[in-house]
Amino acid sequence: MLRLLRETYENARLALLALAGNRMRAGLAVIGIGIGVATLIAIFGIIQGLNRSFASQLDSLGSSSLTVSRRPWVTGPTNWWKFRSRPPITFHEFEEVKRQSVLASAVAPIVSDAFDIKFADRSVANVQCTGTTEDFSVARASYPRLGRFISDSDNQLRQRVVVLGEDVSRALFDTGEAALGKAVLINRSHYRVIGVLERKGSLLGNSLDLVAIVPFETFRNDFGAKRSVSIAVASADPKALDALEDEVMSIMRRARSLGPDQEDSFTINRQEQFTKLYGQLTGTLYAVAFGVGLITLLVGGIGIMNIMLVSVRERTREIGVRRAIGARRRAIITQFLLESVAVSFVGGAAGTLVGLFIAHLVGDLTPLAAAVTGGGVALGLGFSMLVGMVFGIWPAWTAAHLDPVEALRYE
Amino acid sequence: MRDAISRAGAPLIRLVNIERTYRVGTEEVHALRRVSVSVHHGEWVAIVGQSGSGKSTLMNVVGCLDTPTAGNYFLDGRDVAQMNDDELADTRNQKIGFVFQTFQLLARDTALANVELPLVYRGIGASERKRRAREALEKVGLAARMHHKPNELSGGQRQRVAIARALVGEPLLLLADEPTGNLDSTTGEEIVRLFADLHRMGHTIVLVTHAPHLAALCPRAVRLCDGQVVADGPGPRVAELRDEATTSMPLLATPIVASAGVGL
Repeated sequence: MLRLLRETYENARLALLALAGNRMRAGLAVIGIGIGVATLIAIFGIIQGLNRSFASQLDSLGSSSLTVSRRPWVTGPTNWWKFRSRPPITFHEFEEVKRQSVLASAVAPIVSDAFDIKFADRSVANVQCTGTTEDFSVARASYPRLGRFISDSDNQLRQRVVVLGEDVSRALFDTGEAALGKAVLINRSHYRVIGVLERKGSLLGNSLDLVAIVPFETFRNDFGAKRSVSIAVASADPKALDALEDEVMSIMRRARSLGPDQEDSFTINRQEQFTKLYGQLTGTLYAVAFGVGLITLLVGGIGIMNIMLVSVRERTREIGVRRAIGARRRAIITQFLLESVAVSFVGGAAGTLVGLFIAHLVGDLTPLAAAVTGGGVALGLGFSMLVGMVFGIWPAWTAAHLDPVEALRYE
Repeated sequence: MRDAISRAGAPLIRLVNIERTYRVGTEEVHALRRVSVSVHHGEWVAIVGQSGSGKSTLMNVVGCLDTPTAGNYFLDGRDVAQMNDDELADTRNQKIGFVFQTFQLLARDTALANVELPLVYRGIGASERKRRAREALEKVGLAARMHHKPNELSGGQRQRVAIARALVGEPLLLLADEPTGNLDSTTGEEIVRLFADLHRMGHTIVLVTHAPHLAALCPRAVRLCDGQVVADGPGPRVAELRDEATTSMPLLATPIVASAGVGL
């Protein structure tokens, strides 16, 4: 054991000497591995950044809430027709859920449509206008940055008041402060601005700030009452979302008098569906990007194998001497393996730095929040050393199995 | 070394009917034919012969670098044929010290590091290694230049480093292959004198050479021709012989021991 350690130490020293002795060639191999690792690290960082920003965007939907709707948020192309024939969700069903649920902390009805909103000579097209109640704020994590949210009395009195999303307020008033108290025109009716929501960002490319929230009853009054309602339900205990789903499902089934053998005629949506969709959309892309990184690393590995084979050939006599002096085959193998691992490690370290730099650059120059974690760095270094190991085996084996007599005579 | 001499009864090297055949294309080349030689502890034996006589092959076999096609080789009582590759490596490491014609030093390392090398493979710690390597270099008169690299040393000095490296592990056998072949005659003589000193100190030395004047300096010489032992006797007498003459001439007076194959 001690002998093995000492040999390994000696071999590590030799490996570094050999690297120092062949700077040019080692440098080229280092570049090969470095590019591969840099690619991997950068891709890894960008993916992590994407995932993280997606996760935080999803949270803005209300991570501990669910929504009862006529249709699933995410549908496959094959069965969308099935949902068209479903009956709309009614205000009465919302009331049932609100009345019966014990696990919910907030229940809000939702009706919505896209309208243009105007103020003076400015106009914003296609704003997602939502009619709802006070509970929506909790259920969808929608909090006012300025002013206040709509209240239950606004709803009962059918007040024409509106809470604007950040994008709408900025487009019409430049600043949120300027918006408060002004009357904006939504589809022929004037609404007084009572609040501006916190910024939410975007989800799958759609802005979550291009919204306007008005009282539920006002909405139905102004824009029509025969609309399908969705029901946003927030869980009192964020961890008990499954229980809440079961409870809401049974309330809805009872409200609709569905028999045990009948399918649900509604869907309970959760934000996980977006996570799944996101995974589907990006999974293949990631696999391809990762594959490219791995192939680059593979090419780097072949480069290492090449320089190691040359190194073995150049040092044939040295190998002969070492064998004659009493080096076992294993000692020769360790010597050359360590050398190739050292080359690839140096390459990996350089590549990691470059990869971090690229990820950082991407983070600065694009909206992608690229983030490289310790895991990413470990991955890069680990992969590079693995490559050195794998591609070093053959040259090392060749070196160890040279005939000592031939090796000593090699010119 | 005293210990080695006291065991002089059993030969250190016992070669019995050693054959070594190479296959070159379809032809078989007999590099060694029925070679039987024994070398005792403390002896200084020259192996002489012209190039192609098989003396290098014999050296490789004796040095456990090559394995005979047939016959038995006992080194220090152990049958070399029974050893696996690791055991052969360990045997070379512990029982044999090689000195090569071309020195075969590692160019990147200092003299000291070169001399340490056999001890590295023996798993000896750095400080102990350095101490012993220094001693070995002192023995060959090179203590002053131990931190120089081979390219900063003269040919004779390089060969001294090589000899120190061969000695450092206190092997039972010093095996030198044309150690003066790459040196001018003055330096060569110095090296030979060094071997003579080492012999006096009790080292067992086998020296392979094609030069009769070197063989003449050895107490005993073995002459090879066409892979066969054609003469074995006191160095000066064997050195005088010429190859063609040997095979047919009557055997010299004792202690010449010709191999069984001679005269066929």
